[in-house]
Formats: sequence, structure tokens, C-alpha cells
Amino acid sequence: MKIKAIALNTFKEAVRNKVFYLLIVVGILFALSSHIISMLTLGDKIKVLKDVGLASINFFCVLIAIFTGINLVFKEIDKRTIYNIISKPISRSNFILGKFFGLGLTLLVALLSMAVIFFLFLLISTGEFDSRILLYFALLYFELLIISAISILFSSFSTPILSSIFTISLYLIGHVSWTFNEFKHNLIKPLEKAAAYLFYYIMPNLEKLNIKNIIVLDVPIKSDVITASLLYAVCYISAVLILAILIFNKKEFQ
Amino acid sequence: MRKILFFPLLPVRDKEIKVRTRLFIAFLLLMVLASTFQSKYDDKVNYFSEQNTFVILPPAKSLRILSFGYRNLVADMIFIWSIQFYSSYYFSNRYDYLEHVFNTITDLTPLYRAPYIVGAWIMALEANDYKMAIRLLQKGSDAIRDEYLFDYEAAFYAFQELEDYALAEKLFKRASKRPNAPALIKRSWAHLVYMRDNLQFAWQLWMDIYKNARTITEKDSSFNHLYQIKYEMDKKNLEEKAARYKKKYGMYPSNLEALLRVGLIKAIPKDFTGIDYTYNPAAGKIKARKAYRWKKSS
Repeated sequence: MKIKAIALNTFKEAVRNKVFYLLIVVGILFALSSHIISMLTLGDKIKVLKDVGLASINFFCVLIAIFTGINLVFKEIDKRTIYNIISKPISRSNFILGKFFGLGLTLLVALLSMAVIFFLFLLISTGEFDSRILLYFALLYFELLIISAISILFSSFSTPILSSIFTISLYLIGHVSWTFNEFKHNLIKPLEKAAAYLFYYIMPNLEKLNIKNIIVLDVPIKSDVITASLLYAVCYISAVLILAILIFNKKEFQ
Repeated sequence: MRKILFFPLLPVRDKEIKVRTRLFIAFLLLMVLASTFQSKYDDKVNYFSEQNTFVILPPAKSLRILSFGYRNLVADMIFIWSIQFYSSYYFSNRYDYLEHVFNTITDLTPLYRAPYIVGAWIMALEANDYKMAIRLLQKGSDAIRDEYLFDYEAAFYAFQELEDYALAEKLFKRASKRPNAPALIKRSWAHLVYMRDNLQFAWQLWMDIYKNARTITEKDSSFNHLYQIKYEMDKKNLEEKAARYKKKYGMYPSNLEALLRVGLIKAIPKDFTGIDYTYNPAAGKIKARKAYRWKKSS
């Protein structure tokens, strides 16, 4: 119940922010601009339409996740409202989890609003309903949850500017961390190899959840791969949240 | 009220009007100055000069990493850019990086069909580099195994433009084996086999097409080819035998029955319609009622 109250409060706080709406509107406009971009290509216009639309939604949802997440805990500390909260019978872990679920709800609303408009737009433009895109949005939501967990982790001990730099860096690394798996084959020294392994497993692998490149090209999707990706996301989010709780528990408020 | 009436020419207060008017004039002057410098710079720089037609495009492997999960989008953007760039006819050296550009796009998204087709068009029809176009199309064929179009188009370039019949035959054969390949492709393959003088195999292929023909065009086309192939095989055989006859008896046989009598042939062949060939005893040559001129180019 305590987590739910904090989550709902976080959600209300996030949706009151005008930047949240601005990012949604810009995201939708970018997604709709895919129609103009698709007119510039030759051949498969629908592919370009989907590519640009899905990439826009992805990008702006990530921005919402990062810029809402980095302020969540820091703002409570900075405005000293955290004293009111921790003086009540609410554990610090509940506070972190509440913030995470609140941000998750915010992202769900943002993603759904963009997705519904994009689906309608796609239906009008192409006359078909591509249900595979639903799966993409589901996996994107888990990617956003990983980013949210990371931004909350940094927000629990760092300033918003540093948190945003760290989170954006991890987001970018998350999309190239697969290269370490390939890179390790070129390494000879065991220490270097071990470092590559460590880096590969510690860093988030967001490419596991990025299926937009295969969805658009009608490549068959393997259900076991999707299941493994979702399980990976759940485990990684839990691990990051536990780390955030550990750090937040150690924090002393004066 | 002050905040609302921000425009410098609106009467708020005399002092304020003066300050704002000055600032506005300064703004206008600076914009005029900036425009002057810009136009002076533009006069010296020729944006469309050939020195500016460079392309800095990292290899696809690097771009795949640098796209940070937006691989398709990056490929789309390069593809759209390439369409605009290769439609800019004032660059005479715009084909310098043509293969690199399309290899990058197709390495980023190997299953994206349009760049193979459009890239091959630009390579073949604009840059007149048919070998490059064939290379790109073969790459597409290797990447997308259920598509016949890449091999078919490449075979057409090999046949029509390069006159490389061996390559054309290989490509037509590959295209004809792909799912949903139209019957026309198998006919093209069979024709190439014939063009390369593999008459026995061409006969088999055309016979197969003839037996399985679904349309009148297909039936007529395969009939004509079978007629021609049979004629060529019979002509070669009969003229060889007539030459052997001459070697033995000092003259060509007076008719084809003479070859039968001396046991050089077992039966007198007829054309594919069942009509006798015309035999010229003075030259020992065979002629069919109708003959096609498909091989005149070779």
C-alpha cells in the first residue's frame, strides 16, 4: 500500500510537469513526420514509415525515462521533502520501489499515448494493422524500465546533471555492449578477456530488447529468445533496484 | 503590463522606448552585417564544386555500433541521402564511392530489398558499371534467399550488356530455382543453355517447359525452341554423316535415303512438326522449313 501511494504520487508529480507533455507531443510529431520522410525514398515506403515512427517513439520515451527519472529522488532530497517521508513509517526500499513503479506508470501512459496515435496513423497510411509492433512496444517498455531503474539508481546518490550523463552513457553502452561479446574473441591475455566478460555481463544489454530492426523487415521472431530477453530485463531491473536501495539505505540525511 | 508590451515601438515610457528602439536598430544592423558576411563567404565558396563531393562514410561494422540500436533508421537515412545525391547530375565524380555507399546500406540492413534494386539501377543505368551492379545484386540474392528478382536482374545485365552467357546462365538458373519465380525465368535459363550450345540439356529444359506449360505463350515459345533445337541437332548429325559419305564415296549422297542404305543413320529424322527437312545434294546441307535467328549475335 505504501509503495502504491508513493507510486501514484510520483505519477501525479510527473504528469504535472509540462516537459512530459512536450516530449510526448514532439515524439508524436516526429513519428508522424515519417510520412514526409517516406516520400523521399524509393521502393518500400512502409518500411521507412515504420522505421522512422518507431525510432521516434523509442527516442522520446527514452528521453522521458531519463529526464523524469534523474530528478525523482534528487528532488526529494534537494527540497528536503525526504525528511517528511522517512520520518513516517515508510522504509527506504519502499520509497525507491514506489518511485520506480510511479515512473513505470508514467512511461506506460507516455508509451501508450504515442503507440495508439502511431497505430492509427499506420492504419490510415497503409490500411493494415501490424500486430508484431505491439510486441516491439512491449519490449521497448521493458527497455524503458531498465533505463528508469538506472536513472533512479544514479538519482539516489548524484546530482541531476551527473545522473543524466551517467544514464545516457549507460543507455548508449547498453546498445553496444554486445560488441564486447565479439571483442573478447580477439583478446589473448586472460586478464583482458576476463575484463571483457565482466563488462559484457555488468553493463545492460539493451539490444536484447530492441526488435524494431527485425520487426520492420518481417523476420520471424523466436518466442524463446523473447522470453529470455524479458527474463533478462526483469532480473537486471531487480538487481539495479536492489543496488539503488542499498545505496539509499546507506545515505545519511542531515 | 511591461512584460506583455515587449515590442520596442509600442509606447510604454519614453526612456524605455528609446532603449528598445536602439536595441532594435542594433539588432537590425547586426543582422544586415551578418548577411553581408554570409553572402561574401558564399561568393567565394562553390557549394556544388567537385571538391565538395567527398563522402565520409565509416564502414558498416562501425556504423552498426555507432547507430546505438537505430540501425534501420541509419540505413534509411543513408539510402534516402544516396537517392538525392546520385540524382544530382552536376557532380561528375559522384560515382567514386557508389559501391561503398550501397555496401554500407546493405551491410547495415541485409534484408532491406530496395537498396539492392535501386543501387543496381544507379550502378548499371547511371554509372554504366554493370559488373558492379551484378556484384550488388548477387549480394542481395545471398542475403535474401526467397527473392528471385536480384538474380534475374543480374542475369539480364550479364546477358544483355556484358554478353557473358556463362554468368547469365548461372544467374538465370539460380533465379529460376527461387520460390515464386515466374515461368519466364526458367525459359530465359533454357534459352541461355541453348545459346551456349548445350543442345541436349537445352532440349531437356524446353521439353519440361513444354510439358508443363500453363499458357499459350509458354506452349508456343517452348514449341518454337524445341523446333529450333531439334533442327540444329539433326542438321549437325546429318551434315556430318553426309560429309563422311562424301569421304567414302567421293560425292555427297543424292538423298537422305542413301545415308540410311549405307547404314550411316538408323532413321531419317523429321522436324519437330513432323515435316521432312530439305536436303541439298550439291552441298550436302540440310535446311528446315523455318529457322530462328536467335544465335546470330554469337
